[in-house]
Amino acid sequence: MSVNSDRRRFLGGAAAAGVAASSMNLDILKAESLSNELKKSGKRVLLLWLAGGASQLETWDPKPGRLTGGPYQAIQTSLPGVQISELMPKMATRLHNTAIIRSLNTQIGDHGGGARLMHLGRRDEPNLTYPDMGSVLARELGRSDLQVPDYVSFYTATEGRGNAVGQPGFLGARYAPMFLTTDNKPANLSRLEDITDLDHKERADLRQMLSNRFAKGRVSESLGSHNVAYGRVRGLMSSEKLFDLSEEPQKVKDRYGNSLFAQQALVARRLIEAGTPFVKVARAWWDSHGQNFETHLEMVTELDHVMSTLLEDLEERGLLEDTLVVTLAEFGRTPTINASLGRDHFARAWSASLTGCGIKGGTVFGATDEDGQHVKDNEIGAAEMFATIYKAVGIDPHHEYFVGSRPIPLVDPGTHAVEEVLA
Amino acid sequence: MFQADPKNFRELRTTNRPDIILRMTRNDDTGEMFVGSSDAKVYQVDPMVEQPEFVPMEGHTSYVMGLVDTGKYIVSGSYDKSLIWWNKETKEQVRRIEMAHDRWIRNLTVTPDHKFVLSVADDMVCKIWDAETGDLVRTLDSHIKVTEHGFPNMLYAVAVSPDGKLVATVDRIAKIKIWDFKTGEEIKELEAPKCYTWDPKARIHSIGGIRSVTFSPDSTKVAVGGIGQIGNVDHLAAAGRVELFDVASGDKIHMFEGDDKHKGLVEQIIFHPSGKWLIAVGGDHGGWVQFMDVEKKEVIKQLKAPMHVHQMVLTSDFKTAFGVGHNRLAVWSFEAEAPVEEKTEEAAG
Amino acid sequence: MNKFVLLVVSLSTIGLLQAALQAQDLLPSETTIEEAVDHYIQAEQATGNIQPASQVDDYILLRRTMLDLIGRIPTVAEVEAYVTSKDPQKRVKLVDRLIQQPEFIEQLAYDLNNILAPAGKTDLELYLADALDKGKGWDHIFTDMIYGNYEEEMPKQAMQFVNLRINDLDNLSNATSALFFGVNISCAKCHDHPLVSEWTQAHFYGMKSFFNRSFSNGDFVAERAYGEIKYATTSGEQLDAQLMFLTGSVIEEPEPVILDDEAKKKEKADFEQLKKDKKPVPAPEFSRRAQLIQIALRENDRDYFAKNLANRMWNRIYGYGLVMPLDQMHPENPPSHPDLLDWLARDTYANGYDIQRLVRGLVLSKTYSQSSVYQGAMRPAEFWFATANVKPMSPRQYAAALALASRNPAHFDDPNEAASRIQNEVKAHRGWERKFVVPGERFQVSVDEALLFSNANEFKDKTKVANDRLGGELAAIESNEEMVQRAIKAVYSRPATAEELEAISAYVEARGDRREEAISQIVWALLTSSELRFNH
Repeated sequence: MSVNSDRRRFLGGAAAAGVAASSMNLDILKAESLSNELKKSGKRVLLLWLAGGASQLETWDPKPGRLTGGPYQAIQTSLPGVQISELMPKMATRLHNTAIIRSLNTQIGDHGGGARLMHLGRRDEPNLTYPDMGSVLARELGRSDLQVPDYVSFYTATEGRGNAVGQPGFLGARYAPMFLTTDNKPANLSRLEDITDLDHKERADLRQMLSNRFAKGRVSESLGSHNVAYGRVRGLMSSEKLFDLSEEPQKVKDRYGNSLFAQQALVARRLIEAGTPFVKVARAWWDSHGQNFETHLEMVTELDHVMSTLLEDLEERGLLEDTLVVTLAEFGRTPTINASLGRDHFARAWSASLTGCGIKGGTVFGATDEDGQHVKDNEIGAAEMFATIYKAVGIDPHHEYFVGSRPIPLVDPGTHAVEEVLA
Repeated sequence: MFQADPKNFRELRTTNRPDIILRMTRNDDTGEMFVGSSDAKVYQVDPMVEQPEFVPMEGHTSYVMGLVDTGKYIVSGSYDKSLIWWNKETKEQVRRIEMAHDRWIRNLTVTPDHKFVLSVADDMVCKIWDAETGDLVRTLDSHIKVTEHGFPNMLYAVAVSPDGKLVATVDRIAKIKIWDFKTGEEIKELEAPKCYTWDPKARIHSIGGIRSVTFSPDSTKVAVGGIGQIGNVDHLAAAGRVELFDVASGDKIHMFEGDDKHKGLVEQIIFHPSGKWLIAVGGDHGGWVQFMDVEKKEVIKQLKAPMHVHQMVLTSDFKTAFGVGHNRLAVWSFEAEAPVEEKTEEAAG
Repeated sequence: MNKFVLLVVSLSTIGLLQAALQAQDLLPSETTIEEAVDHYIQAEQATGNIQPASQVDDYILLRRTMLDLIGRIPTVAEVEAYVTSKDPQKRVKLVDRLIQQPEFIEQLAYDLNNILAPAGKTDLELYLADALDKGKGWDHIFTDMIYGNYEEEMPKQAMQFVNLRINDLDNLSNATSALFFGVNISCAKCHDHPLVSEWTQAHFYGMKSFFNRSFSNGDFVAERAYGEIKYATTSGEQLDAQLMFLTGSVIEEPEPVILDDEAKKKEKADFEQLKKDKKPVPAPEFSRRAQLIQIALRENDRDYFAKNLANRMWNRIYGYGLVMPLDQMHPENPPSHPDLLDWLARDTYANGYDIQRLVRGLVLSKTYSQSSVYQGAMRPAEFWFATANVKPMSPRQYAAALALASRNPAHFDDPNEAASRIQNEVKAHRGWERKFVVPGERFQVSVDEALLFSNANEFKDKTKVANDRLGGELAAIESNEEMVQRAIKAVYSRPATAEELEAISAYVEARGDRREEAISQIVWALLTSSELRFNH
């Protein structure tokens, strides 16, 4: 039975002695990364997910004077020599904290595949479910002593919602998103009226007592997670007011405006302020196959206002230094304009932006050719983008998780962060 | 004269272009034709010849969205917010009004007496200019600037009645305003709400708007064009739509809608001088021409165009039609084909 | 498809030798599955000086067996009937009876669909239920799913596995390898597998070659008679992929059909017409997908197929595979019990890959009826199979458990009505499945689930004091002790412990002025506690 002895050696540690491992392998590993803890302390990420694929030409990478450029002009920004679309006059005045990346080539041009790639930073693999960016950040940046949710995801539009993956994958459901779809308040966060707060608590205590009795002598990761989940309920309920905009001064609400996207951005700021390490606000749906310019006139105008207000607000509160604000989508849009004056899916040469924490503000990385059809300089893919995001908030992108005995680096091997945009 | 029969309408020739030709104007006396392009240029062109030459007139920096012939000048307006008066002969700029509007100019028209040029833009203002001097004569300003959903409104088109008394302007949210040309007073507001689709749930943006407007030859009716209600607002996925109103009463006379095979925006509407029938042109990824009988209140004929048509003009004898649009110019004829060919067409149909 | 002649160019000779050697050592094939399981598991435990957990009592065993076989917990009446029965054969009879119930196949089809199809796709489940009901073996099902059964029933449903992945051949090749052969070859796409010297790019592109001529034509999967795969090695060399199975066996095939432009045009038109007529495209004379079936089930190459089935069914019943992870069945990751896996693989192909038979044997072993509680100081690791594993319920199981446990137990007392009432109650709660996640390896419960149960209006109904609810019956019982006994039996299918009696009684007594509310809260605590959530 030498094969088996080998297997035991292979498994190592407690298992070699024939004893069941403790339930949370991954958290043991987390303890090992404590040296990084200081660097990551208090860092947060806010992702503005432009679902459906916003046009790089009508935002960060205009091509004025070219047939692919569309009708909108480019305007000078606060950065010498840098122009963005005239649909973003407010952002144009405040790019000092922002890095624009104009050289994404991510290859996948369908919504489902593209969105998965830009959420996971890598391609899927059967039988191993990767965590999305939010789950990784919730795990790496989250603090167990904070009673706020550590991954909140807004996606109210119905189109493409299924593509906006929020999956903890092998990290486990502890890092699953609180996924808000119909309301700006999470479902089931407030106590029903027909039970008093005391009974609600003591009922949970009774449940805990029954569950603890059951767990005695039994070991299972899943079983552990069941009780951890119930253990978080009361804490999360106490964070309900973070989702309540009536707590916010009218002046601030007015500044953000009344659109759904604006209100969710404001809730996001409240969460970020309270310590939530990752918030995603999805603005859908940008898929302008017909009437690209009208759609972008509506949606970029809104993005420009909401994003600039958000950045200003974060900066005024001293939060921007520790908060990375990202704009990202599943892909960009074709430079070629179709007969419905639309633009179609385009993953070959598109843009994203990074603002705030860990970012060298006022930089532009990469370039496309004069018609925007190809990346001309400094092409990067999803993995580099993710490595950059991780590194900006103090996470080593080459950190490895272990799934069983298999090491899984945070980003695909051989890819590196874009140092040019990092502070 | 005017005996044109839609039944005979057929494509004569097309000319390919790399750009999108958005606007055109044709002087019926001289046959001179000018077009406005997505490459920011105005061109003079004769589409009737083999391999027509495009003589460029450079000055704008974005899409040319309005183009009129005042007799003496060509006047163009653009997304670059400026208006340019051009000398037809020398192709030189005679006058340039740099910030004619605060936002993108969407369209121009000229009064029947050719004395005034009207411009509409996304600042939601219609401006009336002296065609000769370029002086701003009057401003028509009451379309709302922000929609109830918080998005910028857009002012797409303008028309002057043949008797010169009325102006009609149409916007994104499908409001039609009728103004007194002389006083600049708003006389009436009509609406064609089905032309604007706001999707509050699936995609949270809008599509549509009224894209075209024209008065009947007797100035008593106004026709507006756009697209019907759309399920998926990412696409021009509804039939083109024309609504006809009685100006005096404000009553809707009829709504014309083509079949499902001819989807997209109605970019322009043209009345036959008899007032008895209408032509609408437009498209989505493809294009079409549609004929409507005003008296019978029905669509008479629809046919595919070789491109999404942004504008059409007809010769005053109604024998020939010129169209511009996506990557193409086209010429159609109202004259019956030779009998042999007609037979072929029937067999094919 | 048998008419095609296979010419084997190279054989995995090492694999053959191993198989021959092992065959001599293995327990005889007449041994029952349960005996073989216990023999190998206990022998291995002996070598490691591992003391297994005690055997469970009738209460737990009944609950566990019913959940594993028909996907629901027992009613109080079923519990009473089983534990009071003096029939020495009651366990075997129970298993045989449960396996005959339609719910057995329903649950099996549901679980297999969860493995084979992406979330929300259920066509395959319909096919699987039908195929299992007809007594088709896993080899037959595999053929229907990969090659198609256009002359048989439910061809479209059967082909959903391929059809859902047909536009991503890498995914299709890898999913087929992982799910039917226990081998994840995705690492070998770009380079030879870093850990497993046996798996090279040639294997990956070999597997892909079985599918590269296939495409989707309307509702059907079709195949052309031509189309090759070329790939580049890490050193940049361009190679033509061979039709190579995971074992290294290569199929020599006839020269691909060459069509001129005219013929291609006609072929395209033919396909379009078939699409319009909603008819399948006739398979080419030499079908690569048919070759995959042939080779995967062939005597010298069937090990992967048979072992994968045995390992996945083992994992389903025991909550941990003989090979873990389930898709890493390769020489660098040997099974915990190689002889047992060999024996089970041999047994299953010798018996027509009969899943029902395999499952029956697995649940009748003593290994199966071990407790999930380990009393000793050092709990043995999972691969010793010295304790039962605590398994999270599938969404369907949990929905059924909540439905039955929250109902007034008296509703199921009448033996003439019980079966249909149980069925109705369970079916009525199918909608609840969507609230829960299908558990995979290393499954964790999300906080959403805990919040749902803690604060959702829709769950309140389950805990209220009403005649048709458990709460209603409990409120009518005057004695707190009896009330607690009844509650525990209804929800956990066992008698209450002294500790539970004390704690729960105290909870009610502290709320003497609002006993109904107290009972509703107790029902809540019982339903949400881990003991109902898991199969133990």
